[in-house]
Parts: sequence; C-alpha cells; structure tokens
Amino acid sequence: MTGSALPGFPRPVPRWRELGLLAVVAGALLLGGLSLGTTRTGRLALAHPAGLATYLGALAAVHVALVLAGRRVDEVLLPTVGMLGGIGLLLAERLPQDLVVQRVGSATLGLASLQLLWLVLALAIAGLVAIAVRSDRWLRLYKYSWAALGLGLLLLTFVFGREVNGSILTLDLGPVSWQPSELLKVILVIFFAGYLAENRVLLADARVHVAGRLTLLPAPYLLPAALMLALALGIVVIQRDLGAALLFFSVFLCLFYLASGSKVDVLLGIALFLLGFAVLALVFATVRERVATWLDPWADPLGTGYQTIQALHAFARGGLLGTGLGAGLPAVAGQLPIPAVHTDFPLAALGEELGMTGVVAILGCYLVIVSRGLRIAAGAADDVRALLAAGLALVIGVQAVIIAAGNLKLIPLTGITLPFISYGGSSLLVNGLVVGLLLAFSDRGPVPPAAPRRAHRLGRKKA
Amino acid sequence: MDSLTLTVWVIRLAFLAALYLFLALVARALLRDIRAASRDPAGALGRLVVIASANFPTVGSVFLLDAVTTLGRDLGSGVVVDDAFASARHAILTFRGRGWYVEDLASTNGTLVNGDRVTGATPMGFGDELQIGATRLRLERGIA
Repeated sequence: MTGSALPGFPRPVPRWRELGLLAVVAGALLLGGLSLGTTRTGRLALAHPAGLATYLGALAAVHVALVLAGRRVDEVLLPTVGMLGGIGLLLAERLPQDLVVQRVGSATLGLASLQLLWLVLALAIAGLVAIAVRSDRWLRLYKYSWAALGLGLLLLTFVFGREVNGSILTLDLGPVSWQPSELLKVILVIFFAGYLAENRVLLADARVHVAGRLTLLPAPYLLPAALMLALALGIVVIQRDLGAALLFFSVFLCLFYLASGSKVDVLLGIALFLLGFAVLALVFATVRERVATWLDPWADPLGTGYQTIQALHAFARGGLLGTGLGAGLPAVAGQLPIPAVHTDFPLAALGEELGMTGVVAILGCYLVIVSRGLRIAAGAADDVRALLAAGLALVIGVQAVIIAAGNLKLIPLTGITLPFISYGGSSLLVNGLVVGLLLAFSDRGPVPPAAPRRAHRLGRKKA
Repeated sequence: MDSLTLTVWVIRLAFLAALYLFLALVARALLRDIRAASRDPAGALGRLVVIASANFPTVGSVFLLDAVTTLGRDLGSGVVVDDAFASARHAILTFRGRGWYVEDLASTNGTLVNGDRVTGATPMGFGDELQIGATRLRLERGIA
C-alpha cells in the first residue's frame, strides 16, 4: 500500500454549480415574496420575511453540510427541490392561515408556520440521508423485511386509522397525524428494485412462447412481486386511497419495463389495470362517483363536481401569465372556492396566480427531478442501485403527474399530494427521504488522488 | 395605470422570469453533464473482464471498478479471486489522476501485468492484462 493517510475527516468538496443554482432559487423566491407582499399591503413589502429567511437558511445549511461531508453527489436536485418547496411555502403563506391550525406546546401554528416546520425537517432528513447513507446493502438485503414493515404500517392504519373524507388514511401519533401510504411508496420501490434486479436474468431469458413473436413471462417468476403488489393495492383500495393505488401500479410498471425491457408485458399490465379499474367501478360507489364527476362535473355543480369546476375556473382566470401572487382566489361568500386547495389543489391555485407560464415552469422542475434520477440510474454501478434511483425519481414524477392531471380534469381526481408543494407533514418528510436517497445514490466516489510522482514504468530497469 | 400597479406587474413578471432563468440554468447543467458523459465514456472508472480463470470468477464476468479496488481470495475483496495461487489480500487497483495503477500487496506468488511481475505502483492502461495465479483479467474502459 502507498502511504496515503486514512481520512479521519473528509476533505470538503466545493459545489459551485449547486451554490449558483441556489442563489437563483433565493432570488426567485425573494421576488415571489415581494410580489405577494406588495399585492397584499399596497406598498413595496416582502411577505413573511422571517419564514423566507428561515427556509433559505435551511437550504444553505444543507448545501454547507454536503460541502463539508465531501461526497461528490448530485448538484441539481437540491436547488430544484428547494425551488418547489419555496413555491409551496409562498402558497402556504398566501392562503388563509386558519386552513390548518395545530397546537405545538403552548404556541398555535398556522398553515405557513407548519409548512415551514415540515419543509425544514424534510430538508434536514434529505441532508442527513445524503451524507449518512453510504451503501445500499441494508436496503437490498432486507427487502422482504421492508415489505413486511410497509404492509404492517398499512394494516395499522386500517385498524387504528381515522377516517377523513371517506378514506381511512391517517394515523394519529400524538399531535401528529401520519399517512403511512406515503412511506409505503418508498418501501415498495425498495422491494421491487431489489426483487427485479435479483431476477433480471430470469425476466429477460425465461420466457414462454405464446404465438408468433409474442412471448410472455412465466408466472412463477413474477409471483412474489405480483403478490406484494396485489396486497398493497388491495389494502389501499379498501382504504379508498385510489391515488396511491394508481401511483403504486404505475411505478411498478415503469420499474418492470426498466428491468425487463419488454413492451408486451407492460401493455398487458396496463390492460390488467384497466380491467381492475372497471371491476372497482362496479364494486365501489366511490369510484363510480369519481368517474362520473370526471366525465361531467357540471351534473352536480354544487356537490361532487364543485371542487373540479372551481379548479377549472381558477385555471381559466389565471390565463397565460396569472393574476399575480396574492391577487387570485376570490372568496365566495367568505368561503374559499376550493376547500382542499392546500393539499389536493395547490396546482389550481398556482395556475390562477402564476398562470400557465408558472405551471409549466413547476412541471418543468418535476421533469428535472425525473431526468436527474434516470441519469443517476444510468451511471449506477449495479442493477439494484439503478432501479432504486429510477424508481425513487419516478415516484415523485408520477405522483406529480397524477395529481396535476387530476386538477386539470385530464383523469379522475384522486386525493394525493403534489410533492414538495402540497401541505402535509408525511408527504414532505417522505419526499425529503426520497431526495436524500437519490443524492446518496448519485455519489461518484472519492476524488481520485493525484498521480504518484515517480511511477515505476513497466519493462524499464531500475537505476 | 398608477405606479403601484406597474410595480406589481414588473415584480410578477420578474418572478416568472426568474423561474425560467432557473430552469434554463438547470437545463444547461444537465446538457453539460450529458456531453461530458458522452465525451468520457467512463461512467465507471473502469472494469475488469475475466478472460481466464481457475475456479471463480467465471470467465466472461465483468467487475465495475471503484477508484480503489482490492483483489484477493479474501471474501472482503472488491474482486474475489478464488485461485489456489492467490493470496488473501493479493493486489490493489487504484485510479489516480487520469489512469489506473496496480500494486502487489506482498502476495506469495506475485502479480503480473502483461506477463511482467509488478513492483511498486505500476500504471495499467485499458486493455492491459492482469494475472493472479491462473486467473487473467483484462482492464477495460467503464461503460455508463
């Protein structure tokens, strides 16, 4: 061995690209705060300067921590997530603060303060995971244990859960209500990535010939994955969490396609999904109602179709450039037009105030996250890590697409959150965890040391 | 149009412009990244392809290399060489500066590069052959 010193402390690695992008994020968010404050007060003012400062400080702290940790991880993800979170914070600041009120100790916190608290915690989780996770062994070795844990969590909700809006999704833990289906999405990605990577050779080779060039996978190889998927979907469907069901299935299909490269199987999967959806619509009245609302919200404009219609009106009022932060959302008889605007319809509110231009920029940020995830996957050293990175990025991207399309009445509305923007503790924390894992998997290893000054050449006699 | 309305307009549009400035910068970063990756096909720094083997690893298997990779019979090695003539900790491959170097870790039977016995840190090019006992491994450029 050469006499290179053991690194007691890692050498800091500067991250100029991340710093530059974070500076742009800070500038943009300050402009947003200025826009909101000026519209609101009628003079040049920054809305909620303390909250904005805290948030930007948290972003800077994560940046400094990553620099000091000296790991060469992705430099684009943190600013992108920071931008989305900041827009969410501006929205939370802009909405009426009594939408969510929670007592923490003696203090009573409103919507913006709670959102800020969760955002800072999510950033802390992302930073800690990005620095601490050095190996994915503990993820891949115990994939069945993780799967069991995820299902256990879901069952726990089932037994002890509290019903909100006809779905049993939340679990009360002390003062904090928690949605385990958020965490389950990460656990499912870990399980599928481990399982599919382990059986990748089988998935590619062991195919049953059906007719012509059509070959299908032999069922036994798929059984564990299919069983896991069916269990997760079953529980979620019984809980009426249709958004989560759609998300789980889409991400499974994406991962399956990445692992096997078989288009036929994916088409078959989509066909199965549509079939399952038809059965669900026959069995559950909730599903039928959602579809009817989607097809014609004007059939019951003051009842089931109300939120959808208001969201469409919001997008229409926004137009191309929007009404400006703080200038939209006129209250109808003192009531917010969209009751669930902070959780299910943030995109409608943003569409009204930032217009199509702003919405496209926000969707662009999700696209950046997905493309980074796929890039990390392409550079990954092995299959498990590649599938994990791709799956984690796709979870965020697909979730954004599902809820955005639901807001726009492209698909039936399902109640899931817009990642990093919607209000919600469990959603923000879990998405923070996802970003942390993506950062950790993007590690390019230590900086190669400089070449030794006197290397012995082959075939040359020593003097 | 009074000055306040005008100010609000300007700030609103500046906010939207800042969003797109951010996206443009990110897109530039992504493009640069992809260009760099296509110029330098070493997604991994390199890989070892097994071309002859006594026992394990099987011929044809490929190992992606970390910047520091150990070889030997020991199961903790980066590349486990199950060969009667391999020591537990036999050799170490390191990526330094712009190329690979191999060092023999005082093994009993020595390490050969292209048939020559290794002394000290010996540079290895892509395509060079590393021999440990009867096991021969070719160093190749990593592919992303």
